[in-house]
Amino acid sequence: MKAITLAPIDWLIIVLYFAAIIAIGLYLRRFTRTGNDFFLAGRKNSSWVAGLAFLSANLGALEILGWTGGTMKYGMFVSHFYWIGAVPAMIFLGLYMMPFYYSSKIHSVPGYLLLRFDERVRLLNAISFAVMTLLMSGINLYLMALVFKVLLGWDWHVSMWISAAAIGCYITLGGLLSAIFTEIVQFFLIWFGLFLVSIMGIMELGGVRAVLSGLPQSMGRLWATTGDPSMNAMGVHWFALVMGLGFIMSFGYWTTDFLVVQRAFSSKDLRSARMTPITASFFKMALPFIVVVAGLVAYKLNVAGLLPFPIDPNDPSKTWNDAALPLLIARYYPVGLVGLGITALLAGFMAGQAGNVSAFNTVWTYDIYRALIKKDASDAHLVRVGRITTVVGIFLSIATAYLAMQFNTIMDYIQAIFSWVNAPLFATMLLGMFWKRTTSKAAFWGLSAGMLTSFAIFIGFKFDLISVGLAHALTLSANPSDMTRNIWQAIWAWLVCVGLTVGISFFTKPKTDAELAGLVKGLTPEPDERAVPLLARPTFWAAVALVVFVALNVYFW
Amino acid sequence: MTDGKKKQGAAATGEPLPIWFFVGVILLVYGLLVLAAYFMAAPRETVLASTKPSLWWGTIIVVAGGILLGIGLKARQQ
Repeated sequence: MKAITLAPIDWLIIVLYFAAIIAIGLYLRRFTRTGNDFFLAGRKNSSWVAGLAFLSANLGALEILGWTGGTMKYGMFVSHFYWIGAVPAMIFLGLYMMPFYYSSKIHSVPGYLLLRFDERVRLLNAISFAVMTLLMSGINLYLMALVFKVLLGWDWHVSMWISAAAIGCYITLGGLLSAIFTEIVQFFLIWFGLFLVSIMGIMELGGVRAVLSGLPQSMGRLWATTGDPSMNAMGVHWFALVMGLGFIMSFGYWTTDFLVVQRAFSSKDLRSARMTPITASFFKMALPFIVVVAGLVAYKLNVAGLLPFPIDPNDPSKTWNDAALPLLIARYYPVGLVGLGITALLAGFMAGQAGNVSAFNTVWTYDIYRALIKKDASDAHLVRVGRITTVVGIFLSIATAYLAMQFNTIMDYIQAIFSWVNAPLFATMLLGMFWKRTTSKAAFWGLSAGMLTSFAIFIGFKFDLISVGLAHALTLSANPSDMTRNIWQAIWAWLVCVGLTVGISFFTKPKTDAELAGLVKGLTPEPDERAVPLLARPTFWAAVALVVFVALNVYFW
Repeated sequence: MTDGKKKQGAAATGEPLPIWFFVGVILLVYGLLVLAAYFMAAPRETVLASTKPSLWWGTIIVVAGGILLGIGLKARQQ
């Protein structure tokens, strides 16, 4: 099936995008000479630039296509991933965690673990993060090629190699600065390229009220049906949403995943770094107006028989919900706008991949190469290694993409890696930053056990090794969806990590106060906002974000 | 040092153009292309084509691009 046909002007728009990002990379090459320039974009960015990049690093096309399709299955529940699943964590990162990260002048999250704990904890996180980002980058590449193959008839190999080459080119040239510039371009392209889909959908259905009315009760509300998991489309209890998604998974991702946090490190000062995730939270809250609205429009048109879906290329027994957004583009967009819509998706895929590669090259260079291979490497040497690592990372991503093409089931494992790595890491970070008694040994064993717990539960569900009774005990649901299992997997991993870390800390020797200065609450100077005007204060904007967040949840309760 | 090298050195020590400049240029060009497609390309059968989405959305993109370009140039001057 080929849903979309491109006219010459659509092709021109797509080709111009490639030309623009490579030109930006070439232009920025001259501004990236030192390690700080290449890996941290010179630490010169305003909170607007860093904030939009912070959001965009997470805003891949994979997420947009996936959650638009997810809305057809879970309805309004998808908004939870943009609201409770992001906003509280972003505010917490900005207000409470950023002072420790930013003030310690580290290059990466594993770098903080070295200062706070020891080399073992840093390496455990660095290696797992490096593997995770590379695999995700490869999956991103594979899914991009899949989408364009099915919907546009593009050749697999050509779309993978051309996009990978463009990304490799501009990241090698300009490092994180290039990645941030193209992420911001992508942010605007996504809004101007895709928001029109929602607007046209609302116009076709006869207004916002018409889009929201008539949905099944299990899909139409955010919280009203969460008292009983059997009453909602996701099969999830409110406790799992609040504790699992809103606390552990969300905080685990937004506060510890270096892919996003790296953007805040590029800020020009601590206030800007604190404002980075808070600024991003406003735009995050707006995204359901593209993703969920488009998903609901697709759902309603599909139910009315007006929008037939193709068969899922990965599972012929299902329809392919992820095609919702491209199908709506084909439905509404005339010549020219189609090119813009496809460019927005392409930019989303490529920026997501570039984010992974730029985070990978930093962690590899500083936390693995310098830690294990060349401890006395000069700054210029590290920049060279960073550039070479980018190229190697791109090739490894392509290899992963080909692997995923051969063995589709491998994607289930790779996509689950997030909860293996991030949920327990959040426990380690939280204890490390806010409880000075936490010891290095406890952090290492707690983190290792948390990761193993998450992996074991995943394997247990994957191969049906978990009985119905145990599944109910583990998830509070007799029939948990994949999403509910993921949420509970993260909760258990986090609990095991906290329990072991606290327990072992009581029996092992902590670091001294002098060693922990600047790294732990109580031993780090608190940011003083008294001299800062109200409208420039992170706490003020955090409060505004919280009010908007509460209002949205109450309105769609 | 030759003049060319001097200029290169000055550029290297300066600041890059603000990102808003690049975003503005890209949106401006894309908006104009969408408008050009509306006026010049053969129409494609789409739902709600009568609402002329290319015309008003293309105009919005051009205006947004112009504003961002202005912000970028102003930031550069400062």
